[in-house]
Amino acid sequence: MKDKLRKFIFQELLFVADPEQFRDDQDLLEAGLDSMGIMRLIMFIESEFGVTLPDEEIEPDNVQSFDALERWILRHRQ
Amino acid sequence: MTAKNPDILQALNPADCFTLAMDEQIRRENMPGSLCGFALELDKMPDVAELTRRIEELVQRFPVVQSSLQQRGRRFYWCRRQQPRPIFFQRHCPATDAADPLRTYILEHINRSAEPREAINPLEFHLLSDGARHLFFMRWLHPLCDARGADLILKYLNTADPGQRQSFAESEPLVDVQLRKFSFWQKIRLFLKAKRHIEQLDRYRSIVPLQRDLPARRLNYSTHRFSAEQTRLINSLARRQVGLTGTSLYYIGCLMRALEQITEQPEGDAYCVPYAFNLRRQKALTPLLGNHICPLFAQVPKPLLANRQRLFEHLKKQNAEVIRQQIDYAFLPAMWAASWLSLQKHGEQLRKSYHHGTERSSFWFSDIGQPDSTTENFCQAGVTGMFHLCQISTPPALALLTCQFQKQLTLTYNFLEPLYDQSWLDRLHIAMTRELLNDHPGETAGTTNHPHDE
Repeated sequence: MKDKLRKFIFQELLFVADPEQFRDDQDLLEAGLDSMGIMRLIMFIESEFGVTLPDEEIEPDNVQSFDALERWILRHRQ
Repeated sequence: MTAKNPDILQALNPADCFTLAMDEQIRRENMPGSLCGFALELDKMPDVAELTRRIEELVQRFPVVQSSLQQRGRRFYWCRRQQPRPIFFQRHCPATDAADPLRTYILEHINRSAEPREAINPLEFHLLSDGARHLFFMRWLHPLCDARGADLILKYLNTADPGQRQSFAESEPLVDVQLRKFSFWQKIRLFLKAKRHIEQLDRYRSIVPLQRDLPARRLNYSTHRFSAEQTRLINSLARRQVGLTGTSLYYIGCLMRALEQITEQPEGDAYCVPYAFNLRRQKALTPLLGNHICPLFAQVPKPLLANRQRLFEHLKKQNAEVIRQQIDYAFLPAMWAASWLSLQKHGEQLRKSYHHGTERSSFWFSDIGQPDSTTENFCQAGVTGMFHLCQISTPPALALLTCQFQKQLTLTYNFLEPLYDQSWLDRLHIAMTRELLNDHPGETAGTTNHPHDE
């Protein structure tokens, strides 16, 4: 799951000099993921992983890192 | 084409053509075209020798910044000049009793009398000082780059390490890259989807606050900076009302409501505001030049304005729907098709609502978020503030440009005189401030509830 998220974010949304070095717990918002990017990311997650993410849960805590994203998606997959 | 015409440096991409069409619309009002500017307020003079070196290097690496925009057949190209013109100017502007000399200089250079497109410098840098205050002003012609590209140019000039500057490189326009991903039939389907979307928008007659039938004379601007504390509050309100995904939509919604309050009986059914989705990956250093944007529209029917919650829910839902249905990408083939039209026809397609024949945009809007170019220093001078400018078509003759610099929200209202004047803008800003800071009574001095709120 994280591999798919990494691929999408680094190819479509966010430029970092060395994606390999970007840790799973590193802050995506600090790195420059912006509001339009988050919207696209949510659409991607919903279609790729077959989950519906409630609007009221779109919060920094849930999108700020790959670890947080994975936890958020898994909560809604169960 | 390039092989046959060695003076051609670069063809305009479809997004460049979109901004060029707006340049033409502005010129038709006897205004100087789509000139834009960024201004950095500095606490002292920067290292001029180093800055000069980096500008020379920029010109050498990206000769298009010193080129001439020319039409060949139906298309437009950046072409090499036979005699390159200087693009870096230093001016001492002595203080006078009459006016703020730095502001006067900026206004003169953003309002200069219309030059033929072929003659105008696509990019200029002006280092200004009145002895006590110092300002670095960058002016560009919009087809050269979008605001994010302009931010990258400043970032380039502010990168001390020559090796790191080399990592800024040109590459194929992202609009073309994205368009190539679509098959021919996909392009047709997407084009029709974009057309249907525009027809939906045109069901409503746009509200254009401006109702005076006067010719535009010059651009003026009014800049307002919120404190870090106020900015934190605005960000938290934006997050609460529009969610993490919609800070720009929060500003747009607030301005719609502010306009509704200060405009006497505005005619029309809905506010309609173009904003841009940017094809660049955030923080990407490349491509530096060219436009990599696509226009989208936020539209709010009048009855939804009275209630903030309903307004922001509508804006958010509309934006989500645009992305869910890929209407943002659908606009790319539409932009490509429009790039083959004459500039006049292209401009009409963008501006006119064909159900009503009136102007579609209520105001222009651009949010550059947190600029990348500067943190605290620019070429060894401290940066104390930043604002940006853009020429506008008439109507709407009004644009709101926003950024959050050093954790402070800056609003720059750009307006055309005499259609709008400073006293009207002051009233607008008071209403806008109330809207931006709303719903937190007691937490911030001066925050008031709006009578429309429930």
